Amino acid sequence: MSYLIAPLTVAGLAGIMAALIAVVDKLANNYGEVNISINGGKKEMTVKGGSSLLLTLSSEGLYLPSACGGRGSCGACKCKVTTDVGPHLPTETPYLSPQEMKDNIRLGCQIKVKADIGIEIPEELFNIKQFRATVTSIRDVTHDIKEVLFDLGEETVEFEAGKYVQLVVPPYDKIKGTTQRAYSMSSQPADKNHIELLIRLVPGGIATTYVHQHLKEGEKIDLIGPFGDFKRRMNDSVMICVAGGSGMAPFKSIFYDMLDKGETGREVWYFFGARSTEDMFYLEELKDLETKLPNFHFVPALSEPQEGDGWEGPTGMITDVLDSYIKEKIAVRGRTLEGYLCGSPGMINACNTVMNANGIGPEDIYYDKFA
Amino acid sequence: MKMTPELKTAQENMAPGVITAEGFLGSDTRNLSTILDEDAQILRLLSLDPADAAARLRYFMEEGRRGLGEPVTVDEQWLVKTDEARGHLACPWEDGICRKINVTIERKDTGEKLFYTDLSVHLLEKHGFLEGRGSFFRLNPETVKHVLKLEKQSPKA
Repeated sequence: MSYLIAPLTVAGLAGIMAALIAVVDKLANNYGEVNISINGGKKEMTVKGGSSLLLTLSSEGLYLPSACGGRGSCGACKCKVTTDVGPHLPTETPYLSPQEMKDNIRLGCQIKVKADIGIEIPEELFNIKQFRATVTSIRDVTHDIKEVLFDLGEETVEFEAGKYVQLVVPPYDKIKGTTQRAYSMSSQPADKNHIELLIRLVPGGIATTYVHQHLKEGEKIDLIGPFGDFKRRMNDSVMICVAGGSGMAPFKSIFYDMLDKGETGREVWYFFGARSTEDMFYLEELKDLETKLPNFHFVPALSEPQEGDGWEGPTGMITDVLDSYIKEKIAVRGRTLEGYLCGSPGMINACNTVMNANGIGPEDIYYDKFA
Repeated sequence: MKMTPELKTAQENMAPGVITAEGFLGSDTRNLSTILDEDAQILRLLSLDPADAAARLRYFMEEGRRGLGEPVTVDEQWLVKTDEARGHLACPWEDGICRKINVTIERKDTGEKLFYTDLSVHLLEKHGFLEGRGSFFRLNPETVKHVLKLEKQSPKA
């Protein structure tokens, strides 16, 4: 029996250590109940301390924008903290400007709620909701873009055309936790019971792979929103809109919203870039919209039309097409111009350059600013 | 190569859920030092210089960016699509962050494809790391050589 003494002693010591660690962890990381004061006391909540601000707020039904679901990779969950929560963390600083650091803007996913805390957030975030939606239809609009329609059941969504929602992707395959990604809504605000998204497959992308290869009609899935600052400004300026790929989504929502609301007089130019006809979609719908909105001009352009495409429209990079149209057809009328962009940071930078060179100031160019 | 504290930290950061949901090692259970040693040997056998390959990958990434999200033909031989997603990813070695840029290169003559990210180029260039076996983002040296047409590189001493 003596040969059992050593292993039993080790096992016993390990057990004691594990119990000690559990007790210490419970004592050291037990922050008890803490108070979160929002916008100078406009809203107060008492919560259990210890989790990130982002998670703590969402568990109370208050949702900060987040394109990465709290992994610290998108920088979207910024909010001003009015109490001392310690210095900025190395995981926050890459996403913050010097002015934001000075103003004590923090990333909600990186700071923990350990004591009473005061924060300031935009008022519209009080209206963000989480929807348990049912996938009604999934349709291929190109070889790599799916149009997904969600039914909100008894719930209704109120939003301005141009806003986005976060799709909560459940664990699948090797992906253990949930993942959130932001997508602009392509449905129009008048349809309060549905949300439509356009989702382009990104090779290796967690959320887009799920949507393209796993999501099924009839499935229940969570959506959080609406978020974002992107929307049309209500004035008489000429709207110059530029998009490519799934950047179509907010513009589809905006144009059909204008139709729903009878805004038929406003001059709108919509430039949509694709490589070849296999990447082009909604051509018929948007040409049809030109007949319903008399001052709406749809300019689809192909950068590399293929043999057999039979393309007779403009060709070249969308920025070159945009430049020539502004110079030759739009600016010559002497009207005030506004730019609206939806796409990658590179596309937004390139279009900004063209618009600035054609006299449209940065203050008149709108797009969702992401890190 | 020894498993230094720096490599140990990097390997911990490569686990699923730390920086990316799937991590950097795929089904590879080897020590990071072994992975680096063995991949360095494969690169030598293929006469592939990591700095040259990284420079070429970066060239295609930048050329692809001209497409503003749509595929573009580069040097008449490749179809390149560079996608920029919002956000950044930290390097597991904790020496910087990269934008979330995905690149797909397709050889127009054979249809062979290579997929990589801005972070993949950094990992190859600065750390000689190609990612573990079975990782979706692993830069397979033979695929890199074939797709980028680097066959004519001379062996490095």
